[in-house]
Amino acid sequence: MSKQLPLEGIRVADLTMVWAGPYATRLLGDMGAEVIKIESVQVWDQLRGLGSLPPETERRYNKSAYFNHNNRNKYGATLNLRHPRGKELFLELVKQCDVVMENYRAEVMDRLGLHYEALRTVNPDIIMVSMPGHGKTGPERDYVAYGTNVEQLAGVVSLTGYEGEQPQKTGISFGDPMAGTAAAGAVALALHYRNRTGRGQYIDLAQREALSAFVGEQMVGYSMSQETPGPRGNKHPFHAPHGVYPCQSRDEEDDPWVAIACESDAQFVALCAVIGEADLATDPRFATEADRYRNQETLAAPIAAWTQGRDKMAAMEELQAAGVPAGAVLSVQDLTASPQLRARGFWESVSDPDAGTWEMEGPAWVLTSNPAHVRLPAPNFGEHNQYVFGELLGQSAAELAALEAAGVIGTEPDMGRHT
Amino acid sequence: MTSDTSAEMALTGLRVLEVGTNVSAPFAAKLLADYGADVVKIEQPATGDPARRHGPFPDQEPHPERSALFLALNTSKRSLTLDLDTPSGQAVFRALAATADAIVENTKPGTMEARGLSWGSLVESNPKLVMTSVTPFGQTGPYATYEGPNLVEFATGGQMHMTGSPDREPLKNGGYMSDHQAGLNAFSATAIATLGASLHGEGEHVDVGAMQCQASVLEGAMPYWCYLGTDSSMRRGNIMASFIGIYPCADGQIGIHAMASNWLPLLETIGMPELGDDPRFATQAARIENNDELMGIFYAWAAGQNKKEVYARAGETRGPIAYVHDMQDLMDSPQLQSRGFLQTIDHPETGPLTYVGPPFQMSETPARFGRAPLLGEHTVTILTEAGFDQTRIDELRGEGVI
Repeated sequence: MSKQLPLEGIRVADLTMVWAGPYATRLLGDMGAEVIKIESVQVWDQLRGLGSLPPETERRYNKSAYFNHNNRNKYGATLNLRHPRGKELFLELVKQCDVVMENYRAEVMDRLGLHYEALRTVNPDIIMVSMPGHGKTGPERDYVAYGTNVEQLAGVVSLTGYEGEQPQKTGISFGDPMAGTAAAGAVALALHYRNRTGRGQYIDLAQREALSAFVGEQMVGYSMSQETPGPRGNKHPFHAPHGVYPCQSRDEEDDPWVAIACESDAQFVALCAVIGEADLATDPRFATEADRYRNQETLAAPIAAWTQGRDKMAAMEELQAAGVPAGAVLSVQDLTASPQLRARGFWESVSDPDAGTWEMEGPAWVLTSNPAHVRLPAPNFGEHNQYVFGELLGQSAAELAALEAAGVIGTEPDMGRHT
Repeated sequence: MTSDTSAEMALTGLRVLEVGTNVSAPFAAKLLADYGADVVKIEQPATGDPARRHGPFPDQEPHPERSALFLALNTSKRSLTLDLDTPSGQAVFRALAATADAIVENTKPGTMEARGLSWGSLVESNPKLVMTSVTPFGQTGPYATYEGPNLVEFATGGQMHMTGSPDREPLKNGGYMSDHQAGLNAFSATAIATLGASLHGEGEHVDVGAMQCQASVLEGAMPYWCYLGTDSSMRRGNIMASFIGIYPCADGQIGIHAMASNWLPLLETIGMPELGDDPRFATQAARIENNDELMGIFYAWAAGQNKKEVYARAGETRGPIAYVHDMQDLMDSPQLQSRGFLQTIDHPETGPLTYVGPPFQMSETPARFGRAPLLGEHTVTILTEAGFDQTRIDELRGEGVI
């Protein structure tokens, strides 16, 4: 018998949409859980509408790569939770689930009458995870907080940016996937506890707090000194040189940089040798880490003089071969071509009946004795209604047809929403 | 939340060994410890985790027990000093690993094997053992043994290319965010793999590489490239579109992030409801079409605003606006105070300091907030628990192994 994935046998009802929640359930799905994503004709995941495809594309909602990457390894069903029958069927499903996850704004599940107490009434050991921006309690619980707001609230943006200038947003809505990663862990923790005690529980994950866990040393440092740290560019608190240097362009579109981060005397000496500036290694201005830190601006020119004549990948490889921490700044194109990620089998071919065949990133974590893969493409809209409502909940074909006629379930979203 | 430290926690009974330095593995193990795992942090005798030398320190005076980085990343753990490069140290480690549920480590790939402490060898006497290795590039592939501090991880993971202004150099996030990101991944992966071991009876070696953790979360850029062949990953500074951006205000920065459904509440918050009738801004597409005009309006408006006043008004009107919180703002936040997020933790060498709380609140099994251990504080206790007698402990100390 082949080895099981860690979460095989765990069933998750997934009401989450957009990114943070779906990233959490994607991780759970990757690790073997049976994830059932619930949308409705009326309320569907708006990533289905963000595919960068022409509006006239047929069944565009099944072809959004943004949606399809975030929702692989999940089943998909549709259910109108505002309809009394939809609510009943959802509660029937909850009886057969281990976990329910949602990332609506704080008050939405309460208004639907689908709060933790209601779920616990039908399934006493259910684990429920809510992951709104601000959490389920507190004076700001109902404030709106989308993507880029979360990292602003978390303290991350205040530390990011060019030195001495305005803070900068990070390249992604960083709070979303980090909240999702934490939520996947939260589910596992609650399952550990349920395993030992038989008891479920409720998890309140505020996305801003999950990301504030990343500014731990800054907060402790602030409470020592009452000094508020600001952006410091690519500098390290005491290592130098520590920055990015321009490389040779391959074409006009190219934006080639290599990052170099010396953390020891030996690495600095090795760097000087590679760039043909052995004299710098014995120059008293750079003799110790403190000297190099003080005079780091002086080192930028000789390093750049060497990097400018080189391809970023070649520069990284040559520096690393000499033991110097260096990394080419990689774009998405570079990543799909990366010899490292290719060697690790990160890119997997996926086929979807509507969207076709393409490569996407595989599971982020490698289980070395039993690797996980993309087992299922993301669900087409309502694709698994028969499995969920027929097979799991025992509804007949006639009942399913009646549900569809009443708008409780469906296979085509109301595209008038999210415009 | 309860302050009763004897209460059952989520991971009560889970035994974890940490072979970690600096940020990634220590952060993963700290989260496991805060949620109740018994984490034994293994540190090099005499010097300990290099994070102890990092700082910041009170009054800028270096002291191995007063480094903010170390204190923040090692809460609720116990410290054992043990030299894993000696045969005696390796034997002690094997004894501890025989009864552990998980090992979390961030040594360079090949190090644990060279010490005879690979997962493959340890799992023979402990079939349910999980080992999580968290590294910059993972355990295999041509970059496996490349040096990959936080800055290099940002470069090679794809996030850095997307951060900063398009006409300037790319930026890392402030602090050690990539190492934290890898550590958070290692935490969740360890929690899931140990659960799997208890459900199915078999352990696992989990290989977490920062590069893959980042390449998995490049928002729409990766999906669009993979599926459509269009590269949208070039950095765009602080303004993604006029209605998704950070604007300087009188006393800081205001962040707007408006979806189509928030347009009217946004206008109400900024006191310009008349723009709701303006055809230039009637739809999301029209707003993109007239991006520069709208951006100009937002810049001019924001310049005279106070960040906390705007935020309060946004709360009342459901406007999609927040402001950039610095450490003082976090400390003063009514929301975080109301939720009890920040914690005061006392420590014999620093006195009470403020720490960030747990990433999520669990209704039945609240997290704990134990202080970071002194170097080797629990060496004798841990070795005694593991069955080593005083004579052997004295020998190990004599050899410099502990």
